[in-house]
Amino acid sequence: MSEAALVIRGLRKSYSGRQVLDSLDLDVRSGELVALLGANGCGKSTALRCAVGLETPDGGTVRVDGRPAMVFQQIHLVRRRSAIDNVCAGALGRLPLRRSLTPALFPRELREEAMACLDRVGLADRAAERAGRLSGGQQQRVAIARALCQRANVVLADEPVSALDPSAAEQVVALLADLAHQRGLAVGAVLHQPALARRHADRIVGMVAGRVVLDSPAVAVGDADVDALYLPAVTR
Amino acid sequence: MKPPRRKGPSALAVGVTVVVVVAHVLAWRATEFSPAALVRGWEGMADFLGQAFPPDLSWRVLGPSLDAALVTLYIGLLGTTLSVPFALGLALLAARTTTPGRWTYQAARSLLSFLRAVPDVVFALIFVTAVGLGPFAGVLALIFHNTGVMGKLWAEAMEEIDLGPRDALRVSGASGIQTAAHAVLPAVVPQFVGLLLYRFDVNVRASLVLGLVGAGGIGFLINQSIKLFRFDEMATHILVVLVLVVAVDQLSAFVRRGLT
Repeated sequence: MSEAALVIRGLRKSYSGRQVLDSLDLDVRSGELVALLGANGCGKSTALRCAVGLETPDGGTVRVDGRPAMVFQQIHLVRRRSAIDNVCAGALGRLPLRRSLTPALFPRELREEAMACLDRVGLADRAAERAGRLSGGQQQRVAIARALCQRANVVLADEPVSALDPSAAEQVVALLADLAHQRGLAVGAVLHQPALARRHADRIVGMVAGRVVLDSPAVAVGDADVDALYLPAVTR
Repeated sequence: MKPPRRKGPSALAVGVTVVVVVAHVLAWRATEFSPAALVRGWEGMADFLGQAFPPDLSWRVLGPSLDAALVTLYIGLLGTTLSVPFALGLALLAARTTTPGRWTYQAARSLLSFLRAVPDVVFALIFVTAVGLGPFAGVLALIFHNTGVMGKLWAEAMEEIDLGPRDALRVSGASGIQTAAHAVLPAVVPQFVGLLLYRFDVNVRASLVLGLVGAGGIGFLINQSIKLFRFDEMATHILVVLVLVVAVDQLSAFVRRGLT
């Protein structure tokens, strides 16, 4: 099998003496949606933040095909800017400074590409609206469009649906799965809804105390496997 | 069950109280604070006010007064507007969310502190020696001082924002300037405009005092009428100032209300 788009080996991270990641290994291949499950504090978010460079790991290696894009639980759009300006901002890394100081300077091709990305997430008709006026689910889809506009091969999502209602959550996770399968993106998503993960993900990775304890195709994961991830530490 | 006993004041609280009380006693004596002197001297004050009222509202006084008030307004306006680029540049360097490094941060903070520490009146005196008496010295003084104050206020506004959108763009490969332009600055536009209007308000009042040291405007007329013992003219000028300050205050409050 070909090399995965995201390869994490032996990742270690501790905060003030508490080991959050303990030699974590994780692969995400192009074309698959991997769901990361685990109790609060087991290191899922830290793993993603290390992978995109928002945290510096104490040890281990992270190899990414290109520059990853990240989707956050808190969405992190610029609320006062329009949806399309937010999507265009995903491309800042490849724009020269003189074309990128304000949205008015963005090249026309970029605006067209951003429009196509918004269309892909089903929000082309809301392009001119302020991001802050969209619903939570729509904002999260704009954030995904921003990741597409970045032309990232690897998309990491940190609890992307934890703040959304069930139907918006379903829609967003289905969209992430679609993008993995149709565009060949490597998508890793931290989820807190095992049912969603089992419906949409190709593979489920379970973490306990900073280590991977479960890694198997979603169809092969049973209720007992999932429940074991959320047992209180004393009975584990 | 017995409730826990209330704790008495800590040693720190007692110490702070003693220091604060002692400081006030010393301040009372050093400033020669004496309500008795105020009561004894009431006649002098009444005499002064008697000469000031009624104000001389003849056009001979009021005309120049209005002209000078307009100059005062212009000094405040230019002093505020022309300090914007400097304040913005220094604020970006002096905010932890946008600064390129620790040394630039420290340098920008020090420069802002210096500009803030030197009162605008002192700047005005310095610039009068260069460009002579007149409003231009006042504008220069306000640009310098206001850069220091507004730069710090803006930097603090930028430090208080949610860093999520900045991190999101940083992950995607945007540079420091790009994240400032697309994540930090758009988030603080309302605060920036509010602070700008507040500073305009303050600067119009400050340019009044600048007139007293010869930097033009209506402060200059107030100073002159006091020196010539024309207290009725002074009262006219002060009335005009009152109207000007209230108008500017109302205007900026109105704009700020519409902003949020």
